[in-house]
Amino acid sequence: MKGLQPLFLGIFGIFTFSWLGMTVVPNLQIGSLNPQSDEEGTDVYPMPPSGMALRGAQVYAANGCVYCHTQQVRPEYGGSDLERKWGDRRSAPRDYIFEPKVLLGKMRTGPDLANVGHRTALADAASPTPAAGAAAAPAPGTSPAAAASPAAASPAASPATTVAAASPAASPAAAPGAPAILPPAGSQPAANVPTSAPSMVADVKALTKDGKPIPYTAAWHHRHLYNPRSIAQDSNMPAYRFLYEKHRISGELSPDAINFAGDSGENPEGGWEIVPSYDAKCLVAYLMSLDQSHPLKEAKAPATVAAAPAAATEAKK
Amino acid sequence: MNPSATTNEEVSADVEVTTSDVERVERALIDASTRLPVLVFYTSAIAWLLLATFLGILTSFKMHAPDFLSGWAFLTWGRIRPAHLNALVYGWGSMAGMGTAIWLMARLCRTTLRHPLLLIAGAAFWNLGVLMGIGGILAGATTGYEWLEFPGFSALTLFVAYLLIMTWTLIMFRYRRRGHVYITQWYLLGAFLWFPWLYAAAQVMLFIVPVQGVMQAAVNWWFANNLLFLWFGSIGLGTVYYMIPKVIGRPVHSYYLAAIGFWTFALFSSWTGMQRLIDGPFPAWMITASIAAMILSIIPVATVGLNHHMTMRDHFPLMRYSPTLRFTVFGAIAYTAFSVVGVIISLRSMARIVHFTEASMGYTMMGLYAFFTMVMFGSMYYIVPRLVGREWRYASLIKLHFWGSTYGIGLMVLLLLVGGFVQGLSLNDPTLSFAESTESILPYLRGRTLSWILLSVSHLVFAFHFGLMLLGFGRTASVPTFLNPLESEGGGH
Amino acid sequence: MDYGETQEVQETHAAIYREKVEPRVGREPLSLWLIATYGLAVFFGGAYLGRYAGNFSGDGLDYMGGAPRVAAKASAASAEQVTELTPVEKGKKIFLANCATCHQANGLGVAGQYPPLAGSEIVNGGSRRPVMIVLKGLQGPLTVKGQHYGTAVMQPWEKTLNDQKIAEVLTYVRQEWGNTAGPITPEGVAAMRKELAGRAESFTEPDILAVPTEADVPGGAPPAPAAGASTPGANPPTPKP
Repeated sequence: MKGLQPLFLGIFGIFTFSWLGMTVVPNLQIGSLNPQSDEEGTDVYPMPPSGMALRGAQVYAANGCVYCHTQQVRPEYGGSDLERKWGDRRSAPRDYIFEPKVLLGKMRTGPDLANVGHRTALADAASPTPAAGAAAAPAPGTSPAAAASPAAASPAASPATTVAAASPAASPAAAPGAPAILPPAGSQPAANVPTSAPSMVADVKALTKDGKPIPYTAAWHHRHLYNPRSIAQDSNMPAYRFLYEKHRISGELSPDAINFAGDSGENPEGGWEIVPSYDAKCLVAYLMSLDQSHPLKEAKAPATVAAAPAAATEAKK
Repeated sequence: MNPSATTNEEVSADVEVTTSDVERVERALIDASTRLPVLVFYTSAIAWLLLATFLGILTSFKMHAPDFLSGWAFLTWGRIRPAHLNALVYGWGSMAGMGTAIWLMARLCRTTLRHPLLLIAGAAFWNLGVLMGIGGILAGATTGYEWLEFPGFSALTLFVAYLLIMTWTLIMFRYRRRGHVYITQWYLLGAFLWFPWLYAAAQVMLFIVPVQGVMQAAVNWWFANNLLFLWFGSIGLGTVYYMIPKVIGRPVHSYYLAAIGFWTFALFSSWTGMQRLIDGPFPAWMITASIAAMILSIIPVATVGLNHHMTMRDHFPLMRYSPTLRFTVFGAIAYTAFSVVGVIISLRSMARIVHFTEASMGYTMMGLYAFFTMVMFGSMYYIVPRLVGREWRYASLIKLHFWGSTYGIGLMVLLLLVGGFVQGLSLNDPTLSFAESTESILPYLRGRTLSWILLSVSHLVFAFHFGLMLLGFGRTASVPTFLNPLESEGGGH
Repeated sequence: MDYGETQEVQETHAAIYREKVEPRVGREPLSLWLIATYGLAVFFGGAYLGRYAGNFSGDGLDYMGGAPRVAAKASAASAEQVTELTPVEKGKKIFLANCATCHQANGLGVAGQYPPLAGSEIVNGGSRRPVMIVLKGLQGPLTVKGQHYGTAVMQPWEKTLNDQKIAEVLTYVRQEWGNTAGPITPEGVAAMRKELAGRAESFTEPDILAVPTEADVPGGAPPAPAAGASTPGANPPTPKP
């Protein structure tokens, strides 16, 4: 190479070109988006997450959840994300503007989580979610009767049964006891609350008609994090037991203690209970805040994706 | 190790220029000045390699045995994995690369290294940064961005250490003896100037003045991919450009090819990265631009590959005798394969299947290990004897190292690419439950654990051999180990 | 332990002794095949970029098709979605956002403070009086459905809401909670806005009562007021002057 000036200029020029083109220009385009609202200024989306969810994102990052879970839904031509009901539409830049850490992920050893907070609302036996399908065996004997029995069998039966009794039928009664494991209600966009509230309150003991646990409630998350294989036998997610504390039951069973309905192998010995640490509660609050179900102008309408692409992919194969 | 004149008659035709005694003395002086810092870099790099290997086995094993050691927070899979990769990237890769780069720079600038202690201080700071970073990751202080997981204090330490090292390299370049600037020096200068910019830009845009929303992910992947190409790629290619002609004693085939290869490499590979976010929440043009850059990067790959191939032509049998050449040529071929695989898996029709699968890990390992690490091994086999004044002790250990690494990485890449494809097929089939897609990859992941065991054997062997060299147990023969097939194993003393 | 001290210098530096020259560079020209490869790569790379770059727009999330057309189509589609809402539905959103604070979502108002809209004789009368009130506001006291509202104050909305929105919200109000008056068109509101352009202060009860009960907005679509006019007859007592 003759002369050093061209060499150094080239080295700097090329890098500037890449830096401008790949980060600065896109940042001008999508780096300062505002929430979307309708003409009346209502129905704002997205909303800033709650403080617990912010901390939960840090827990999520610290424990490397991002290496197995993505948080992005691809469009109908990009894969089977929509057919797997991981979302109603593709993800768009605007979905992430308030995320403290945008952990899109690049690996799907576990399912996508972009809408995991919304999928609670789908907890309906009529429309099985992928996870419900994945949880091929919700543990043999997970029937309402079995659900109540472990608690009844525990030595601390007398105070505990009152809590356990508040299971399937009386799930609204669990509401006052449960708020500790719920994200602050006020942080949710008002529009979302009515649909998701009932299922958030539902305890893990609550069962749908065909005997499967309602997926994705806070209690579900806690049980899943504590022992993934008590919910999905084939899961290869590690257990996050270090996020949970073992307490001696004093007086009454804590309202947020994990109930291993139908999985007697997991129940702690009598007089002890497993309760989530604050980090675990934050993590679950974060997971439950992940919700891209709100329609966005720039992301294609879901109506077209429901039927057409399914047929299209069939035709391709 | 380079062949002596006695074993390769075919070379001698090219070697009409005999090196004068003056030049020999000059080289000996240069090697003596770089001895301590380069050995410090190499020793640290190999120590990190061993840690990374251990964590690699653990990461791989926990993938199919999720309950293994999951009780402690610092041993959970999600912390071991980034610790493993960062040890590999910043501990092993960067330190080995900088060690080799310093030596090459000194040799090519024909200048002795003054005040080597400052470089050693740089290495110490770098080690400290990596140590704190990995400790931070295991303690849960990670940032969550791939290849940037080190917490802020560690990143700052790394950066300061880096500036020290870079400045020293540039000073060396400044005081070079007159003469033209060789191809390797272009690549090394590029690498040394690109890295701090890249690292600083990513740190500023992610942590100091964080960009909004998905731009964080874009900056993250822009950084990670450029680190792979502009940092590891540049150092690796620069080393290949030195080692091949040096060992076989023949000029590089063509200057023009080298120039075109260098500039197109820098231009196109610096625009890749976003293809890893394909179909994500980004304007389509960003992703398309990166895919187009991947396609265009066929140009430098073909150019550089052809240049090396033409240089090596008729000299391939030499690989039997020279460990340096073996590792280097393996790495050079792996670079071509790495780039071709990169183009294939980033095209939209293919990415639709392999995106979000283990195939991307296979691709990364091709670049980081099959190409870069193998080239670094090759350069160490060349440089260390010159620094310690001894020949490698056992030819058998070199063979074991080479074949262990070759089979290990070959198996791993194959398993991950094929397994990723299978996983992607079942992921894209909505009639299969999600759990089935995970299950479809499990056999391949078990195989990967086997490949890590192979790699760990080869790394342990290499570390042991390197330790012998450091402690002065190398041979004192005038013939390089492994070069002369007639020589018996215990030929040293 | 340092190296080489006890050894022959020759042996210590054996590697350097047998070393080849520092690398040099040849000057072979480019082969045609290579140039052809360049051409191919540039062609495919460029074509890919041109085909799938979505016109380099920040909104073009989908790679297929030219961005402007896709963007236009997408916005048309979303506009369609918006227009799928009937004026009444849109009016409901406007009402909940702006009016429900005082008049309440059920349209019953607050006793003694904010008059009801449900069953109100003003709402169910001709279209002229509601439009007047919404545009310019109202200053109490006021009597609605026989109840006295001494301090009721309503702000003028002419600056906040455009004609379209006023028409929608009034159409909603006039057809909700058992109200049966006809719809109001944006053109009618526009005409009233022009007519009242000079007026700065809010209306008071006498101003309103001065307007005939069944009076409609000037340019309003004739059939609609007619339909409205037929029903108010069934309405509760007209207020006494």
